[in-house]
Amino acid sequence: MSVFVPVRRKATPKSRVSRVIQYVLLAVIAIVPLFPMYWLVISAFKTPNEFSQVPPTWFPVVPSLKPLFTALTEVPFAQSMLNSLIIAGVSTISVLITSVLAGYVFAKHRFRGRDLLFYGVVATMFLPPIVTLVPLYYLVTSMGLSDTYLGVMLPWLANAFGIFLMRQFIMDVPDEIIEAARVDGASEFRVVWQFVVPMLKPAVVTLAVFMFVYAWNNFIWPLSILKSEALYPVVLTINRLMSYTMSFQYQNVVIAGALVASLPTLLVFLVAQRVFVQGIASSGVKG
Amino acid sequence: MIGVFTLIPMVMTFIISFHSWSMFTPITQMHWVGFENYRTLFDDSNRMQAIGNTAVYVFLSVVITIPLGLLIAMLLYFPKLKGQSLVRVILFSTYVIPTVAIVIIWSNIYAPGYGPLSTMLQAIGIAPPAWLSDPSWALVSLVIFNVWQMLGYYVILIVAGLTQIPEDLYEASKIDGAGVIRQTWSITIPMLSKTLVFVLLMTFINSIQVFDPIYLLTQGGPAGSTNSISFEIQRSAFSYGLAGESSALAVTLFMAILVIGGVAGAIVKGRRK
Repeated sequence: MSVFVPVRRKATPKSRVSRVIQYVLLAVIAIVPLFPMYWLVISAFKTPNEFSQVPPTWFPVVPSLKPLFTALTEVPFAQSMLNSLIIAGVSTISVLITSVLAGYVFAKHRFRGRDLLFYGVVATMFLPPIVTLVPLYYLVTSMGLSDTYLGVMLPWLANAFGIFLMRQFIMDVPDEIIEAARVDGASEFRVVWQFVVPMLKPAVVTLAVFMFVYAWNNFIWPLSILKSEALYPVVLTINRLMSYTMSFQYQNVVIAGALVASLPTLLVFLVAQRVFVQGIASSGVKG
Repeated sequence: MIGVFTLIPMVMTFIISFHSWSMFTPITQMHWVGFENYRTLFDDSNRMQAIGNTAVYVFLSVVITIPLGLLIAMLLYFPKLKGQSLVRVILFSTYVIPTVAIVIIWSNIYAPGYGPLSTMLQAIGIAPPAWLSDPSWALVSLVIFNVWQMLGYYVILIVAGLTQIPEDLYEASKIDGAGVIRQTWSITIPMLSKTLVFVLLMTFINSIQVFDPIYLLTQGGPAGSTNSISFEIQRSAFSYGLAGESSALAVTLFMAILVIGGVAGAIVKGRRK
């Protein structure tokens, strides 16, 4: 990544003032996203009384683990975290495999109608899933898969954005490497697995994080296709918890649940952030 | 795979939109009604309100996101400041939090009385609106947290675009005596047009399908003021079983995206010539 070197200026009082202003703005830009997250964390540890106090306290006076405990025990929370993990994990792995393979074919194989087909795939990126929600529901249900893990995952096992991203990155892999591997008698699968994939690390990480977050957070599809609570991903369980709270009189149980539900995606993002942020950036530039 | 789960359903959406079919009965009971669903769609004040609300929501999201995203991206890229990459990560982190969690926390931030936002506004002498429970503020409240959630993503895309602008352009214009505003207007924005159009399209596509916060928080209320196209599609089909009407609305949404996407594409092409 190129480094921008500003034209050096003498530190006049005016430029020092503008520097201070820049730092103040930077701080504001950091605080605006952080504050609600901070509020999420502190509210999860307040007692119900303190939570509904007017004016609000800015830090829990009597920190309590009770909301967290209630959230984890009142609904099958652990089960739904596991469900989310299965759904997001399997979708992510499947998308990675299909995207690398399809991306490879689009980038390095020549066949009639290739570009047309590729742009067809790219066009579906701009089709919101909501448009096809009803027929999708009908298709999956008529396969007998409504209310199953497979039914939740099926429409998301391959994805146009993934294919697009991988194709853009694989285009940059030098043909010589692939040719050399083929001359050595490597099968196409081995070429992809042993020679192409290792060069795609940033793209693979980016897509993996993206997909995991997407599948973990997807709400409308599981809501539409699932009936039994035992299969609920955690976002639906939180929704369930929300509907309890009217009678429970303590909303911070929901908040505690929301906090726990956010941890996996945040964790995945933070672990991968360096590569991920770069990958997202280059996905925009290459697009 | 994509064929099966995108193209076939797309075609089916079109077909169903010309039929009357209750989701609670087998598809064999579906029968042809022609344009009936479209006629009722445009007669139905509920659905028209959903279309209007979505248009306002998309418009506000775009006009807030693009300039704000550009300004933040410029601040994160041009001056050499410490902590810029940290701020970038913080900004982006809102994108990975499940919308359900964001919705819950924002509903508390918006809450009258014990909510921090109203408290802060009162402290500086502004009477806070009732946010989500006020029909004229509810949609705006939803726009605010959409922007809050998505902005980091767009900022990163715009910063990536900024890195592609050759630096000499700025130095040359500096010699010509151009200030920051002049530079932004005649170098940054034109050179960034491809990125900006891309971000605009992403904001558009993302905000036109708003569903989660509405389902979770307002159920379209108060007084239908936050009813959106996606919410109406899901509700018509899955709560009322009106697959035909729902699909007619879905096709309308699809057409709107096609037309606006096409116009955006044409503008970009026209610029290139």
